[in-house]
Amino acid sequence: MRLLHIVNYNGNQPQFEIGKPIGKAKEYSEDLIKLRSITRYLDLKNKAPDKTFPESQILSEMDNLLNNVGADVIATYERITAIEAEVKSKQDLIRSLTPLAVLPLPLESYHGYDSLATFVGTVATPIDADVARVSPVNEIYTGSAKNATQVAVFVPADKASEVSAVLSEHGFSETSVPKLEGNVDSAIAAQESSIKTLEAEKTPLLKKLADIKKQHEDLMLATDEYLSMQTQKTEAPLRFAETDNAFVIDGYIPSDQFSRLKSELESAAGGKLEVSLIADKEAEELVEKGEDVPTQMDNPSLVKPYELITKLFAIPEYKEFDPSLLIFVFFPIMFGMILGDVGYGIMIFLVLLLLKKKFRTPGWQQLINVVMIGSVWATIFGIFFGEIFGPLGLWGRIMGHLPEHEIELAKEAGLYFGEGVFGSLGRLGPLGIFPLDRLATNAVLLLIGTSIFIGVIHCSVGSILGIKTFLGYGEKKHAYFEKLPVLLFQVFLTIALLGLIMGQMWMVALGGIFILVSMVMLVMGPEGPMGLAHVPFYLSNLVSYLRLLAIGLASVGLAYAANQLAFYVIMPMLSGGAKDSAEFTTLAIIVGLLVLVSVHFINLLLGILSPFMHPLRLHYVEMFTKFYSNKGGGVEYSPFGHVRRFLKA
Amino acid sequence: MAVVADAGSLYGLLAVGAGLATGLAGIGAGMGEQGIGAAVVGVVAEEPGFLGKGLFLMLLPETLIIFGLAVSLILMFAWTPFAGIVTP
Repeated sequence: MRLLHIVNYNGNQPQFEIGKPIGKAKEYSEDLIKLRSITRYLDLKNKAPDKTFPESQILSEMDNLLNNVGADVIATYERITAIEAEVKSKQDLIRSLTPLAVLPLPLESYHGYDSLATFVGTVATPIDADVARVSPVNEIYTGSAKNATQVAVFVPADKASEVSAVLSEHGFSETSVPKLEGNVDSAIAAQESSIKTLEAEKTPLLKKLADIKKQHEDLMLATDEYLSMQTQKTEAPLRFAETDNAFVIDGYIPSDQFSRLKSELESAAGGKLEVSLIADKEAEELVEKGEDVPTQMDNPSLVKPYELITKLFAIPEYKEFDPSLLIFVFFPIMFGMILGDVGYGIMIFLVLLLLKKKFRTPGWQQLINVVMIGSVWATIFGIFFGEIFGPLGLWGRIMGHLPEHEIELAKEAGLYFGEGVFGSLGRLGPLGIFPLDRLATNAVLLLIGTSIFIGVIHCSVGSILGIKTFLGYGEKKHAYFEKLPVLLFQVFLTIALLGLIMGQMWMVALGGIFILVSMVMLVMGPEGPMGLAHVPFYLSNLVSYLRLLAIGLASVGLAYAANQLAFYVIMPMLSGGAKDSAEFTTLAIIVGLLVLVSVHFINLLLGILSPFMHPLRLHYVEMFTKFYSNKGGGVEYSPFGHVRRFLKA
Repeated sequence: MAVVADAGSLYGLLAVGAGLATGLAGIGAGMGEQGIGAAVVGVVAEEPGFLGKGLFLMLLPETLIIFGLAVSLILMFAWTPFAGIVTP
């Protein structure tokens, strides 16, 4: 049913024992191990199911699968490993034979002497004279290999140690000689031909494994699922508390599902059981004691993907606020504000549509949905910023721009926010700031303000939730003297700065007073004067939101550079200094377009990565630290049971 | 004593300063992240559930660049206080 989150019984009460597995638990787990080893030999990966199987089919085919097919797979796999080992040993043999090919001796002449000592190996300098000095009776064969001299020295056995000393002075390093017979070259050829035979035997075996894999893949995965389910079921009593006559299951269930669980259990057990809820007060005590109450995140389907981002940080505790909703509100806006380009937004959206069909696991789907919603916002912000593949891109050609003299006028008046227009609507917004060219000085200043403004709202929401969370835990001191001052500090610091810029001294004074108040509150707080040490952190929190502008500028800058490089540098240069686009040569246009596409492609990749990572950081560092996971995170609600993927219900 | 400089070269020096502010801050942040990143990869290899917290720790020094950038922006766009020391 997948309803009850079972709490493991730890055996610490004398009247109850830990339960024992029921039924065929042992057989099931043995079969499972067998199956897993077969699937490992076949290199079988878990994948999205193509078809599903009824349990009866699994039961009837399992025996054949595990014993006949399994034995076949294991035998084939073992033969392949044996062949590989043999090929390897033969290759080693060839490697040791090759240097001997330069010596004029057959292989049998290296072995089988009683009164002769044999030295075979490479030397750095000629040895004949020195060997003759210590052992007048000798036989030396020399041949030059690629970068060393190969020698075979035969001396009487009683001179062996002297000769060995002489040889080592000449940089002798020994080569081992395999115990074979006949000519060296023909021995190598024989080994090579037997490697070929072995490889020829291996190829059909590999194909056989691939065929078995193809034929039984789904059935094997389904059987794996069935066996996992059975083992889980039969071993469940290990998590129960048991007496001689009865057992107790302890667990959590969402409140609204309780009556369903109760009725189903009662009908299944024919009235032989008792299902009861613990009292609310007792439950409260458990929470206070820090018992791991599991959390089930419950969000609307649109917000669901953002649970991924929450979970990546920590599972919310039972009493904590689930921040997924906040991430849903802020994250895509931040993503859009950073990327802010109609062209990139649409491109990413289309690519993700394709990927969505490819990557079907739930994790990937969530991730893709998160970025997809972000790319919609990027398109919307792109319209505000007047960008289609960067400034100088397609916007001017599609929507048109201001005439030259009006641009000059705006620049002189210090009100230049860009030259794009919304088609016949012209420029919109107060002072005609939209479409906003993000590279214009005025626009940068405006966006600095906007970023900090978003930052203050973001941090304030975090702080308010922090106060609420601590009140929920009943820790008033933390709420009012640790979290509230942060809120005051950040809000009034911004008001003071705004006053400075606008020249309103009363705002500066008001801000200053409240900043002082918040610092006094911090000193009175649980950390005492040490609380003041956090103040630079709160300040840097706000400055950190400048990244919304900064990363965006970097992305616009690169797009601008790509367009500038292609249309105003490479194309005119390769056309011999032509000024007008009509005079560009074909070669110039092709090279220019290549550069254009490649730089935009790199920018697009960065444009997915950094607008994702940085808002993520803003949430994790700037926001979550204010309210989330102060107690180290919770436990996810994972009800007992198994999701059927390959099995028919 | 008035410093004698023409507006052009003063603006050039401001630009160099702005570049240094962002660039050096970037190097600093990179050096900071290097150690953290290595440690995080190590931890995540052992315990994949730590990825989120690891990212959080790894991204902490990023703020340094933003400080550098803020200084650059002030230098580039709010340089009027320096205009007084330029003799025409």
